Amino acid sequence: MKLGLAMAVMFGSLCSSVPLLAHHSFAAEYDSRKTITVHGVVQKVAWVNPHAYVWVDVKDENGKVVTYAFESLSPNALMRGGWTRNSLKAGDEVTVDGYLAKDGKALADGSIHANSKLITMADGRKVFVGSSGDTADPTK
Amino acid sequence: MKKHYLVLAVIALALATLATAQDPGGKFGPVGPGPATQRKGTAPQGPTPKMPDGKPDFSGVWSPTNFFAMGQPSLTPWADALYKERRANLSKDDPEGNCLPAGVPRISPFPMKLVQTPTLVIMLEEGNVHSYRQFFLDGRGHAKDLDPLWMGDSVAKWDGDTLIVDTIGFNDKTWLNGQGLPHSDQLHVIERYQRPDLGHLSVDITLDDPKALTKPHSFNRAYSLLTDWEIHEYVCNEFNVDAEHLVGK
Repeated sequence: MKLGLAMAVMFGSLCSSVPLLAHHSFAAEYDSRKTITVHGVVQKVAWVNPHAYVWVDVKDENGKVVTYAFESLSPNALMRGGWTRNSLKAGDEVTVDGYLAKDGKALADGSIHANSKLITMADGRKVFVGSSGDTADPTK
Repeated sequence: MKKHYLVLAVIALALATLATAQDPGGKFGPVGPGPATQRKGTAPQGPTPKMPDGKPDFSGVWSPTNFFAMGQPSLTPWADALYKERRANLSKDDPEGNCLPAGVPRISPFPMKLVQTPTLVIMLEEGNVHSYRQFFLDGRGHAKDLDPLWMGDSVAKWDGDTLIVDTIGFNDKTWLNGQGLPHSDQLHVIERYQRPDLGHLSVDITLDDPKALTKPHSFNRAYSLLTDWEIHEYVCNEFNVDAEHLVGK
């Protein structure tokens, strides 16, 4: 699986000549040095513009559930990647690699604000791949 | 065993992408089924479609294939200072981050659609903000005393099989690209549209702006035709939670 992940990352770099996250500057909002990997359960998916969002409930070491809100690509870009609004559903178990927001402020609903680089489902399928996080450059 | 197939599939996809890197029609389709014309990474082949009057018909859904073609214009001191400020704060004030129109000639990486009649060509932009341009092809000149416009005032004429679109009347709120290249309300854009065959659209673009550019700047923008994919809805203001979190440094 590690090789698969490496290839997926390589693939992301091949695609990097086109800024999939076109709506705003990645570096103005997220910190490419604050990488996170969380494992949890999808609470809900918002198939909305300018970015789809995926909320993931994660249990911390004390068993307390915290919710992350992961920004993804826009629905039109996800659809051209072959995903649909049904590719990821509430209740799905996922591992998310991503980046935290620079300002550290929660979204209005209290969830931790982050950008998803890669979402891997329990069976190994990768969905919503290709966020600008793949090409995050802290200087740009 | 399944994992091996997955790895092989990813390798095959990566190689396919390398092979089509010059015409990355598949740029949005790394893993899923996606649109066939983009998955193949090649534009459809065939002769240039014609209008009843024999002129090229530019109608179609077009996906940009050389997004960063603009390059770097030579900036006046005023524009250079503004550009450096925008770079220093990491484009946090990009109008597109607030769901405002891209302006001209800035585009998104998403497709646009051209609809053509003998006297009018309409460009429909999918995103980041739904916007449209009208290229008036009925012989009129620019409107007098234009208000400052986000997308400008465009009039068009034919030069053989080339459609020349002349656009003025801009406000100074849009950026030339996501990096923050500035322009003023003196921006004058001349585009020369050509459709050499069925699957390709070529636009030679010249920017002139005496306040922002020390000399006119030209570049070519290329598109490939999507035959099995429409432009999509993109309502930018639906959930734009980004705006308040764009902090820059």
